[in-house]
Amino acid sequence: MTNIVEAKGLSKTYGSFTALDGVDLSIPSGAISGLIGPNGAGKTTTLKALTGLCDVEGELSVAGRDPRRARHKLMEDVCFIADVGILPKWLKVFQVIDYVEAVHPRFDRVKADKFLGTTDIPSNKRIKDLSKGMVTQLHLALVMAIEVQLLVLDEPTLGLDIIYRKEFYDRLLNDYYDGNRTIIISTHQVEEIETLLSHLVFINKGKIVLDSLMTELSEIYFEVLVAPDKLGQADALGPIHVREFLGKKSYTYESVPRAQLAELGELHTPSVADLFVAKMKEAKNG
Amino acid sequence: MGKFAIFQFYALLRREVQEHRNLFIGAPAVVALLILVASIWVITRIDQQQLAEGLRYVSVVFDGLSPFDMAPFFMLLAIPFFLTLFICSVIYLINTLYQDRKEMSVLFWQSMPVSNLQTVISKIVAISVVAPIFYVLIIFAMYLVAMIWLTILGITHDVDLVGIGWMFLAAIVSLILTYLSAIVTSLWLLPTIGWLLLFSAFARKTPLLWSVGVFILVGFLEDFIFGTQYLGNWVASRTADPNQYLIFEFSSLFERIFDYDTLFGVLVGSILIAGAVFMRRFID
Repeated sequence: MTNIVEAKGLSKTYGSFTALDGVDLSIPSGAISGLIGPNGAGKTTTLKALTGLCDVEGELSVAGRDPRRARHKLMEDVCFIADVGILPKWLKVFQVIDYVEAVHPRFDRVKADKFLGTTDIPSNKRIKDLSKGMVTQLHLALVMAIEVQLLVLDEPTLGLDIIYRKEFYDRLLNDYYDGNRTIIISTHQVEEIETLLSHLVFINKGKIVLDSLMTELSEIYFEVLVAPDKLGQADALGPIHVREFLGKKSYTYESVPRAQLAELGELHTPSVADLFVAKMKEAKNG
Repeated sequence: MGKFAIFQFYALLRREVQEHRNLFIGAPAVVALLILVASIWVITRIDQQQLAEGLRYVSVVFDGLSPFDMAPFFMLLAIPFFLTLFICSVIYLINTLYQDRKEMSVLFWQSMPVSNLQTVISKIVAISVVAPIFYVLIIFAMYLVAMIWLTILGITHDVDLVGIGWMFLAAIVSLILTYLSAIVTSLWLLPTIGWLLLFSAFARKTPLLWSVGVFILVGFLEDFIFGTQYLGNWVASRTADPNQYLIFEFSSLFERIFDYDTLFGVLVGSILIAGAVFMRRFID
């Protein structure tokens, strides 16, 4: 499997603040990849670097190009939704569509109109007069009508209610994703996208703390509800996180053989949310 | 340039007009309206007999005159529009690369396959080539209303306005000269355009204050370190005489464009514009 994104040693500072600290990242073509991290972890800076919207140090290749050299060329193959607030407020809906149709060689107006026909968005209204949900739908309509290799979504559903959030991801998966395109979604709302993902990246304080295919997670990470008499044995195996669960202790392990852990108690693969907490706490505790 | 690139560039210009329609269309329309209302107000207060004599005088004076000879007179009438265009251009240039960063829509614009160079060039073309078209069309509409009104006044005061056709031709010639003047002035003021765009792309807050402040600082440093005032004198030479902005004869067009001073300004302006493109690329 080839990688659509290859990054080595990406670094970026804003004054004394280090936003990216030697980020190494590989995202396979055709994956739905989740870039998960707490606020201020470096998610947006990473995505802006991938789309040529900010300058970084290090090696970087996206869809075979260096985003720092020819952003506008890269944007023929990559779509980017930063968040719901970035469509120009003074434009009318039909003007946005006219603009994208005129400047993007891979935009299909019929597709966009068809998508918008399923929404309540009036074409003559200005963006500033639309609700947040409508702006997101409009942005999604634009993106879905563009034939690209990579779609980058930075907190795409931020500030939306649950109905719009669910509809956004449903449409993305059912109407857009065809198995060949790659989608990168950054969010700190892990549960929302967990079931969509085929690839997972955790970032914290500008560093990648996990980069794995979802199928590999179940072979590397285990959560064990440890029997009370096996706590000492469990501690000795070096868990990355321990938490209380229904009066029992739940241990999370990384790269410890399944057979060894099975002796300790009930074994299962941790949810992405639980793994995220475990990795963040592991990073915090050093 | 391919067909798609032309279509793309047209879309960039259309976007500028849509975003800044108040500066491109609203402002000159208001000026035209004010001039028409003021003219009506003045004429309604003139004694009817004096008005008839005035109309006869105008008719006789302009009858048979070459439109090219009359054009400079009409160009003087265009001065309020020229000043309006100048003020609107400053407002436009200092805000155009700043505003979309401020409201974050820059991320949308830059998510499209349009380079920063295309964006910056489109903004310069929009204000120096496209905006004057709207201004000239609005002046034309104002002249048309004025001519119709003069004709009605002529009929109601029993004056045969034989010269009005020549006046109309002269007005059209003056509009072509006014448009060319605007283009040449843009070339001549390209360093100012580049300077304003540079700070529009650079400043995180109050770009106008930055552009004026840095200019004063550089001028002060030049005076303090070298004891010279080249910068100040150069700017003064570009603002002192309004005649420098207007081309009254077609024959002086090439002389103005290929003037050493203009070409040097184009060079300095191009460097500053390149700086604005660079800033647009790296400020995040």
